[in-house]
Amino acid sequence: MPDNSKSLMIQTTDLTKRFGRFTAVDKLNLSIEKGEIFGFLGANGAGKTTAIRMLCGLLKPTSGTAVVADCDITHQSEQLKTRIGYMSQRFALYEDLTVKENVLFYSGIYQVETSRALSVAEELLSEMGIDLGSKALTSSLPLGFKQRLALTCSLLHDPRLLFLDEPTSGVDPQARRAFWNVINRLAEKGKTVIVTTHFMDEAEYCHRVVIMQEGKAIALGEPAVLKNEHSVPNMQQLFLKLVS
Amino acid sequence: MRSLSPQVVLSFMKKEFRQLSRTRAMLFLVFGAPLIQVLILGFAVTNEVKHVKLYIEDRDNSALSRTLQQSFSSTDRFNLIDNPDNIKATDLINDWKTQVVLTIPPGFGKDLTLYRKPALQVMVDGLDGNSAAVALSYVQGIIATFIKSELTDTRKYPPDAIFIKAMPAQVEIQDRMWYNLDLNSPQYIVPGLVVILVTIISMMVSAMSLVKEKEIGTLEQLMVTPVRKSELLLGKLIPYWLISLFEISFVMTAAHFIFRIHFAGNIFTMGLLAAVYLLTTLGLGILVSTATSTQQQAMFFAWFLMVFMLLLSGFFVPVRNMPISIQYLTLLNPMRYFMNIAREVIIKGNELKYLWNEALALFVYGFAIFSISVAKFRKVTK
Repeated sequence: MPDNSKSLMIQTTDLTKRFGRFTAVDKLNLSIEKGEIFGFLGANGAGKTTAIRMLCGLLKPTSGTAVVADCDITHQSEQLKTRIGYMSQRFALYEDLTVKENVLFYSGIYQVETSRALSVAEELLSEMGIDLGSKALTSSLPLGFKQRLALTCSLLHDPRLLFLDEPTSGVDPQARRAFWNVINRLAEKGKTVIVTTHFMDEAEYCHRVVIMQEGKAIALGEPAVLKNEHSVPNMQQLFLKLVS
Repeated sequence: MRSLSPQVVLSFMKKEFRQLSRTRAMLFLVFGAPLIQVLILGFAVTNEVKHVKLYIEDRDNSALSRTLQQSFSSTDRFNLIDNPDNIKATDLINDWKTQVVLTIPPGFGKDLTLYRKPALQVMVDGLDGNSAAVALSYVQGIIATFIKSELTDTRKYPPDAIFIKAMPAQVEIQDRMWYNLDLNSPQYIVPGLVVILVTIISMMVSAMSLVKEKEIGTLEQLMVTPVRKSELLLGKLIPYWLISLFEISFVMTAAHFIFRIHFAGNIFTMGLLAAVYLLTTLGLGILVSTATSTQQQAMFFAWFLMVFMLLLSGFFVPVRNMPISIQYLTLLNPMRYFMNIAREVIIKGNELKYLWNEALALFVYGFAIFSISVAKFRKVTK
């Protein structure tokens, strides 16, 4: 057990999830530090999303334990939920509400003061040119805007840990770049960000990554170090080399 | 665990109202559809038997037999039909040309004047047993009146006229129906219809509500928030509860003006009991919503439940006419109680103190169903 456990945001011990006879996540051991941008890489069905869902307290592990934001995920899942933000690839927004109404709704259920929620939202949305007072419904926004709004809604309660499940799928390269800028800034402010992605170029932006295959972690470390170890020029080739 | 927060429930309510006001199809389903349905069904669903097709086969052709025919043609209960081609009576029935055949045998008039006991034959199409029985009783009534008037007007009671003894000469019944004086069919049918419509719509809307969020993925988002299950479910239930209450009042008011439904009872009694009843239907909808994962499944389940509730509610068939075992089964049906309540309060003007049993049953069911929904609903997947 490392003595730097005080600075750890996530620590998992043999975290395992089985669905019937299928093992989705197999004895995952991870230690993620505060302020890290940590990437889960892997093909579809490699167990990334299952791992994330367990860490969010959405899914009960079959065996093993995990402590996330000082909460045990099995026994303190409700307390955990006040400390984390979560954004899924489906951008869970209410399309028939306006931008502001979405923000108000999520601030309401997180019991965040309205004025504070609105100023957080203002700050995150204005640089993309999204007008909080707009009467337009969310359904009419471009995907990049929806992504930003979904991120905003998951940050209203100022969580220390943010889970992003394939946050950039379907979004154009420019919006992806802008999105990663925001993620970097969040990390600079001390937030821990967990990202799953299958875009290998995005893996380069992460401080550390874990590459998963068939529920197991097959590589773990800084992208630069991993590339060196396997003497490949980029993450794409590293991934293909490891997976094949 | 923190206690239930009104702020969170209120956020949900605001959200639901906003979403509803923006979905045209929903607005139509909630406000337009019931109005149209009550209009059409109110006129269409009736238990009155009128304009029954009647063929009189007069083999006697006497003055008396023609007078008897006239008694039938002078009422709107029967439409006399002709038979110029002299088709056989049974064929007429098989061919749907007529529903009732009255055969007057040769010598009917003569027998009657000679105080013998003439026979008449009535054949009724029994396909719809209820209407057949009603039509038959009309026929009997008309014949009885005919014979009575013929005998009292023109001659004294002869001692050997046996059929007269069946006539209540001394005791005369003057009937007066209570609560629905002129047996106005909509007065009886429409309150039941309102119950059905409100049940269908409240259950559908609440069954769709949660499962829709499952489909678009917002429910998963809510699961990672600290929102409590009861907050979420109450936040869903209360808006639809208010809307359904409004809807009952709206449809009832419309029915009052369109069908001249007389509201005999206390409107607040009705409102209070409707409020309790809606807890059960909305609760069932939410329960369906928690147990299914797509809107299609939810729709199917909701229909399945509703058909049962409808058939066992006493709307079509009075509960007391059902077999005993089925009667016990109806005790599980919240709609049965409210059907009773709606008719008692609207038609009879019954008071709350006579309806405690029904009210209590509804309250217990509503509470139980909601508790089961909360228990069944899981934030953490196993």
